[in-house]
Amino acid sequence: MGKFKTGDLVEAGLWLSLVAFLFAYSFEFDRNIEIYRYGATAWPRAILLLIAVAAIGQLLNQARHSDDSATGMFAAAADDASENTQHSSLGWYLCTFVLLAIPFVYMNLPGWIVSTNNIPEEGVARVKIITAAVLFVIYLIFAWRNHVGAILALPVFFAACLEDMGFYALAPFFIIGIMILMGERRISRMAMIMPLIYGLLLLCFVKLLYVGLPTGYVRPFYDFGNWVVALLQ
Amino acid sequence: MDTFANFLGGTAALFGDPVGVLIFFGGVVGGMLFGAIPGVSMLTLAAILLPFTAHLKPEHGIMLFSVIYCTGVYGGAITAILFNIPGAPENAPTAFDGYPMTQKGKAGKAVGAAVMCSAIGGTISCIVMMIATAPIADWAISAFGPPEIFALVFFGLAVAASVGAKTFWKGWLSIMAGLMIAVVGLDPVGGMERYDFNMPYLLAGIHFIPTILGFFAVSEIFVQAEKKATGSYKAPKISVDFPTFRELWAHKIAVVRSIIIGFFCGILPGIGATLAAFMGYNEAVRWSKDKLEFGKGKLEGVISSETANNAATGAAMIPLLALGLPGGALTAMMVGVFQMHDMEPGPLVFINSPDLVWVVFAAMFFANLSILFVGFLETKTIINLLRIPFQFLAPMILLLATVGAYAVRGLVIDVVVMFIAGVAGYFLRRSGYSVAGIVLGLILGKIGEQTFAQAMQMLHFEFSGFLQRPIALGLLIAGFLTIGGSIYGAFFRKGPKAATMS
Repeated sequence: MGKFKTGDLVEAGLWLSLVAFLFAYSFEFDRNIEIYRYGATAWPRAILLLIAVAAIGQLLNQARHSDDSATGMFAAAADDASENTQHSSLGWYLCTFVLLAIPFVYMNLPGWIVSTNNIPEEGVARVKIITAAVLFVIYLIFAWRNHVGAILALPVFFAACLEDMGFYALAPFFIIGIMILMGERRISRMAMIMPLIYGLLLLCFVKLLYVGLPTGYVRPFYDFGNWVVALLQ
Repeated sequence: MDTFANFLGGTAALFGDPVGVLIFFGGVVGGMLFGAIPGVSMLTLAAILLPFTAHLKPEHGIMLFSVIYCTGVYGGAITAILFNIPGAPENAPTAFDGYPMTQKGKAGKAVGAAVMCSAIGGTISCIVMMIATAPIADWAISAFGPPEIFALVFFGLAVAASVGAKTFWKGWLSIMAGLMIAVVGLDPVGGMERYDFNMPYLLAGIHFIPTILGFFAVSEIFVQAEKKATGSYKAPKISVDFPTFRELWAHKIAVVRSIIIGFFCGILPGIGATLAAFMGYNEAVRWSKDKLEFGKGKLEGVISSETANNAATGAAMIPLLALGLPGGALTAMMVGVFQMHDMEPGPLVFINSPDLVWVVFAAMFFANLSILFVGFLETKTIINLLRIPFQFLAPMILLLATVGAYAVRGLVIDVVVMFIAGVAGYFLRRSGYSVAGIVLGLILGKIGEQTFAQAMQMLHFEFSGFLQRPIALGLLIAGFLTIGGSIYGAFFRKGPKAATMS
């Protein structure tokens, strides 16, 4: 039996904490079902028990084979894991956490600002736009220091803004953002490719397949989305 | 002899009617295209077409859906192989080895094998379907009750725990995580809200399509993006070298095994092509001498998965036509087509509308054959998508996935869930977990819990009832032995030797 590594202990700790939380939450729906003796909790609790057993088994296994790089069945996952040693410092994780938290801040902060300041309905859109702009600046500051974290967070940020600002207005910025994060720097190429991807998508899904994509609620994004839809129809 | 005469009659009726021919080819091309476009699937096409079938003759409507089913299941393999984006859940195991083959510059071989094996699996399944619909349906439906289906799900999960993860324990944790995600929403027996955290969205459960798109397509983009950022990205090599006859012949046993597995999984209502593909893949791993090569680009992985999922398509028609029980989403839509024409699928269809049945059977047979020809032509063109530089391909895939996730239910939250699943998938893959295991757990979780509850009610809550059902008992023992062997391997054998345990 080898020594326990900090990473393995943290991993097992995370699984066991998740099990404890979900087990505690299962009492929320621990009610009898007349036709089914085991109720609604037996199945999830059995799974939680197996997760706990597997997490402990994994920890003991890691301690036992601490000198082996991969003890498992297939090397595919091991290959994935071995390629990612450059982004594993505590600082990188913290920075990535901040970047990933930005979309969730956007999903909750405007509602909180509106309710605490009794802002009338016509001011809600302004609050959302200002919040998004401020959070985007924060995103850029952290993205500058953490390229991979920025790539992870941008699609989530895009999805978080989709309800308010719509697909039609956000997609062009998203395409350019991803291209830049993927290392493209030639403005002429980006200016050519962005309308091509955007146009093909809209032509295929909106014009031919009548897929209704979100137009958003916040002006002027909403007006732009409706204008594009009218243009295509 | 009667079967052959009926088949000839169905063929003559199909190709003697110009409208029928047009609908047939429309279905073949439409199914392949929708299966191959990332983010949409054959189900999208079927849902779009469903209202229009009211204006078609019943045999044309049912025939169109059956053709889309056959070619759509194949079409999903193309994106699974080229971009690690399974067109449908039944193509997920194809990506395990198909995508690594693409990264090694063997995309042509992988797609070629998918074309050949889909056609072989589907065609043989169709022939068996035509000959044996009635007797097989009688046997399967009487022999496979909820206890057997639960035991089959258990066995499938036990084997799948060993696929794709760094260790057996991580494979098991991946499966369990998928099962926990499937728990969210209303419980299948009493309708209790579970883990909804007072969010109305979670009451309907987490939909598997955004989750699959996130775990496979989005997490793959993140992994490749990281490689770009660290300078270790290598563009996939383009090749259109199809597998040779000798290469395919070397896997004849895998093909036969997958046809049998696919057929029997397809015949069970509610199980269908998804479990067929996973079981076909798992059994290929189980019986292979080179287990360590699976997941790294082994042709046998693609062959097993694609043969099994197409073999399930013909079989899925058996419970639908013989008993009126749909085996999956697309066959459920076919029930809708029947109902739009004031018909009910079931044994009476064979008596009241034999022409319809044989036109459909003939159309499925020729649709599977056409995969061979149209599929090769399509492959030659679509494989060139890999020539697009990754910085332009990535936003396209992410936006296609966005549209695909949103189009399922028209909910933006599904897009958020997809990207969160993508981020989770990225971190889990970094740590050596199996995203395929999570997805399998998610898909089979609901079936597993439902059949377990039905089995327990049926057996009066006595676990010993399983002992009196030989098929269920055999499957449970096989599952426990698989788990036991893997645990023994994890603790008592060192290093790669553990690989031989499962």
